[in-house]
Amino acid sequence: MSPTLRALPTRQGAIRFPTYIPVTTFGEKYPLDNLVRPYLPRLAQAAMVSFHYARQIEEFPRLPLLVDSGGFASLFNTARVVRVGELGTIEINIDERIETIHPGSVLALQEKIADVAFTLDFPIPVGMDEAEAQTRQQLTIANAHWALNNRRRRDLPLFACVQAWDTTSARICAQAYAGATFDGIAIGGLVPRARDLPAVLAIVAAVRAEIGNLPLHVFGLGKPELVEMLFKLGVDSVDSSAYVQLAAEGRLWSRPELHITQATATDRLHLALCNLATATGQSLPLSISRIVFNTHSLQFNSIDQDTAHAHDRAL
Amino acid sequence: MQAPIDLDVPNSAAQAEILASGLIHTGFNCILQMPTGSGKTWLAEQAIAAAIRNGARAIYLTPLRALASELVARWHTRFAPTKVGIFTGDYGVTGKPYPVPFRDAQVLIMTPERLDACTRAWRSHWSWIPEVDVLVVDEFHLLGDRHRGARLEGAISRLRRLNPFLYILGLSATLGNRHELAEWLEGVEYQSNWRPIPIQWRIARYRRASEKPALLVEEVKRNTSAGGKSLVFVQSRRRAEELSRYLQTHGLRSHHHHAGLPHEERRKIEADFRNITIDVLIATSTLEMGLNLPTRQVVLYDVQAFDGIDFQPLSTNSVWQRIGRAGRPGFDTQGEAVLLAPVWDHNVNYYEQERFEPICSGLADSHALAEQIIAEVTSGLARTPLQIKRVLNQSLAAHQQILPDVYAAIIEMCNAGMLKQSPADESGEVPQGTFYLQATRLGHVASRHLLTPATMLLFKRVMDSEQALTFFDLLIMATCSDDCEPLLPVNFEELDALNVLLAREHSLLLQRSQCQVIQLLGVRGKRLLSALKMALVIRDWTHRSDTSTVAEEYDCYPFEVERLAESLERLLLAMSGIVECKDDRQEEPGISERFVPLSERIQALRRMVASGLDECAVTLTLVDGIGPKLAKKFQTIGIQDIEDLAMAEPGDLRQLPGMSHKRATRWIEAAQSLIRSKSAFYFKETGPAVHLASSGWPDDVDPYRLRRALDLKIAGVDGGRYLVTGGLEPHIVQIDRHSLSCDCLDASKGYQCKHVLAVQFHKGDRKLRELARQLGSAHHEKLDLFSLWFDGRISTRSRRAS
Repeated sequence: MSPTLRALPTRQGAIRFPTYIPVTTFGEKYPLDNLVRPYLPRLAQAAMVSFHYARQIEEFPRLPLLVDSGGFASLFNTARVVRVGELGTIEINIDERIETIHPGSVLALQEKIADVAFTLDFPIPVGMDEAEAQTRQQLTIANAHWALNNRRRRDLPLFACVQAWDTTSARICAQAYAGATFDGIAIGGLVPRARDLPAVLAIVAAVRAEIGNLPLHVFGLGKPELVEMLFKLGVDSVDSSAYVQLAAEGRLWSRPELHITQATATDRLHLALCNLATATGQSLPLSISRIVFNTHSLQFNSIDQDTAHAHDRAL
Repeated sequence: MQAPIDLDVPNSAAQAEILASGLIHTGFNCILQMPTGSGKTWLAEQAIAAAIRNGARAIYLTPLRALASELVARWHTRFAPTKVGIFTGDYGVTGKPYPVPFRDAQVLIMTPERLDACTRAWRSHWSWIPEVDVLVVDEFHLLGDRHRGARLEGAISRLRRLNPFLYILGLSATLGNRHELAEWLEGVEYQSNWRPIPIQWRIARYRRASEKPALLVEEVKRNTSAGGKSLVFVQSRRRAEELSRYLQTHGLRSHHHHAGLPHEERRKIEADFRNITIDVLIATSTLEMGLNLPTRQVVLYDVQAFDGIDFQPLSTNSVWQRIGRAGRPGFDTQGEAVLLAPVWDHNVNYYEQERFEPICSGLADSHALAEQIIAEVTSGLARTPLQIKRVLNQSLAAHQQILPDVYAAIIEMCNAGMLKQSPADESGEVPQGTFYLQATRLGHVASRHLLTPATMLLFKRVMDSEQALTFFDLLIMATCSDDCEPLLPVNFEELDALNVLLAREHSLLLQRSQCQVIQLLGVRGKRLLSALKMALVIRDWTHRSDTSTVAEEYDCYPFEVERLAESLERLLLAMSGIVECKDDRQEEPGISERFVPLSERIQALRRMVASGLDECAVTLTLVDGIGPKLAKKFQTIGIQDIEDLAMAEPGDLRQLPGMSHKRATRWIEAAQSLIRSKSAFYFKETGPAVHLASSGWPDDVDPYRLRRALDLKIAGVDGGRYLVTGGLEPHIVQIDRHSLSCDCLDASKGYQCKHVLAVQFHKGDRKLRELARQLGSAHHEKLDLFSLWFDGRISTRSRRAS
């Protein structure tokens, strides 16, 4: 990636653009994230966490924390988007009780712990009825303006979220934010549309054209080749958990043909770090440069599989 | 707040070259081989300072607690305000917390054992492990140490996997295979022979061993009269003390130094040696590694060292570790290394060539490998056989192609009950049909207490074979284990006394034949003798409760009795952990049972060993609130055991200070309640007494001389003159008519010397041949201490390849 002089100041230091931001979680659901997280400051400039996991943070990582709204929960089939006054909320049915995500609760948590905040948005699935899609978009826009008007922390950069279903609706959404004093714009909802690359790039270009010089973030797209294209289009930052998901499967971005079976926890840690280094374009310290292309277990992967199976049977 | 930037200027060309090249800042693993005193620690400090500047942490590993203490004090100032923590066996126990907790320390000074424990329990240390940038391993050659090498290697391996960003800086003066080690670490290496003070090497020759003390005086006086100080290395503590006294009688201010002395006394002696109070220090190997006591002259009085079982020639590495501190920067223009050697020994010339022995991985030993497999499984870092194999394929042992068969080791451990298989979960992390390995309770106990699997298997084997072990049996089990320390050697002269003392003990194990005992306990020869002696020492401690008296009785040091008691307490704790409850007492009330469940017996013995209590006093501690100290006080007022307490009146107890009527009554009632279920005879030994074989050895043949004679050779015969070689020097045995005479000193004192015995043996003397056969025979019906002494041949030849 080509460096620029653009940067976003945060209370934990500036984030230089363009940049790949790894997604992390907290709690016990994804143990690999707990292994990887202490190393994020070595390879990335910031980390992204969603509202749901952000509530479980006990110890903060030492790098700027981006907290998104958790709006993707509206896609769950146990959830529904509910209008409350002018704003949109999400009601989620969890074990027969209702949990509500409200712009106010999201902002409150973000003001408490975040270094960069994203407004509560409602992703629009592919094929959604246009009327409902428009409703979701309107509520997304309303929530964004509400958050801007109610933000108290001046050192908390606030990104307004764009949700759209095509280029036109994306442009409309972006125009709704023009003139307001948002610190950046974030485009959501592109992951389900990622197979239609031209459509994705067109949406990004449309938004870029409307928002002037504001920082532009894209949620969830992390494949290195795609990220490179997005940066060329003027996207400043992306976030993704693909680096660690791939590692959990025993895979390495830089060697797609490889698949480590019976990867240990530290094997997966190494894979995640290698994938992250590939994504962020950072070169790891020389002492482990071999790991970028050949993590410890890889060289034995093909040789010892048969032997291992034979011994497993013997044992 | 960041530490101030280190602006130290290099003191040597080697340091300057290393800094200029950026060798220790590349991020590559790096091995530095430089002589003692040439500034390795300074370079380590540069690496640590760089880590601190980056906001990261650094670990410094040293095998010596004393050095760790020295460094933490120094670095506390040097790296201020950065927090420097010390993590050795002196801390972390109840009542003595770490001065700086792990998560707060930016520089962590620790022993390899402590790092090993941290990596095994890595989840508890996850707040700081990822922040480490550099691991400095001082005395890197420790990787080849018989006992500690594999643990160090395992700790390094786990730490590298947990933190792939850190780099290793290995420091040593004595590596014979530096390139190979750097290759294993996929790093770089650097070597320099530069010394701040050059060393002049000198061999002082003697014809007879009796000449050595006077020769030492001559060498040392030559040095001290010119204003220098001397450090003399000897092979045993006894020799250190004797020589020190000898030097004092010749007007020299000398003192001995060895691990048998308490810490405070050693520190004082070292301080006195640094200032003007002591000129000559006579030491065993404790000063061999790392302690900063430079001196003008270093003398190797012996070229052998005790390895725990017997004396072996010193390796080149060991020799140079000792002489490396000859020559004081700023005081001496050169240092002197003196080796005392017999005139006929030309092998000693080899040492000067500095051809260091290669460091061979400790994982080549199957016991060490088993321990590391357990460590991997209990840490959760490798859970399937394939994962364990992959991890160990990265080891130094695998790199050197000396790694034993890992899969075979796993199978063996499963069969031995240390590992068990459990089906893999359905997370999909491993293919269907694969299974995870888990440590059993046996395996967990081994890992938690850092005990070798061999120790755990020994305990299990003995406890499975014998149901009602006596206290003495339990002690023997513990003293036979690999993890018992220190080891107290046995002198030949002690054998008779040991026979007598053992006859007073109750033991079921020692009723077996010698072969069976050796097979069951897994040790033989002098090691078994050592174990029996140590069991006696600790049993005596439980009777006398006074380390000084016990030490005097058994010709050792009070400090050693204390350390041995600590070690056995730990081993007994591990035994408790693995014993299965076999309590089959009858439930009928009012019947006092004589059978004590093994678990209770072990727990009682543990309390006895911990506090120096006998089996009567320990019954008092069964009452809540009565600890070991109070139990001893009870005995002073005539209450020997719990039955006495149960029959006492409250007024009897009022003699004890602070004893209220209420408490006295409460305790008496508690005792009465207890004896309804337990009895004072509960722990009394009722097993059979030990009956050992008597040797039936004739008085006119000294067995020790006969044993030495068997090592000699008849190199030539000329008429009635026999040339006998293989000893310190060759001798001539002359046959006149039917009598034999020899020209050695022993013969001149009237003894039937080993040379004469060798000739008689050579000529086919039947009696000698039969006696020699007895010496070699291990098939005794009963345990025979005498044959244990001569079990196994002692090689007096050099182990170096010619």
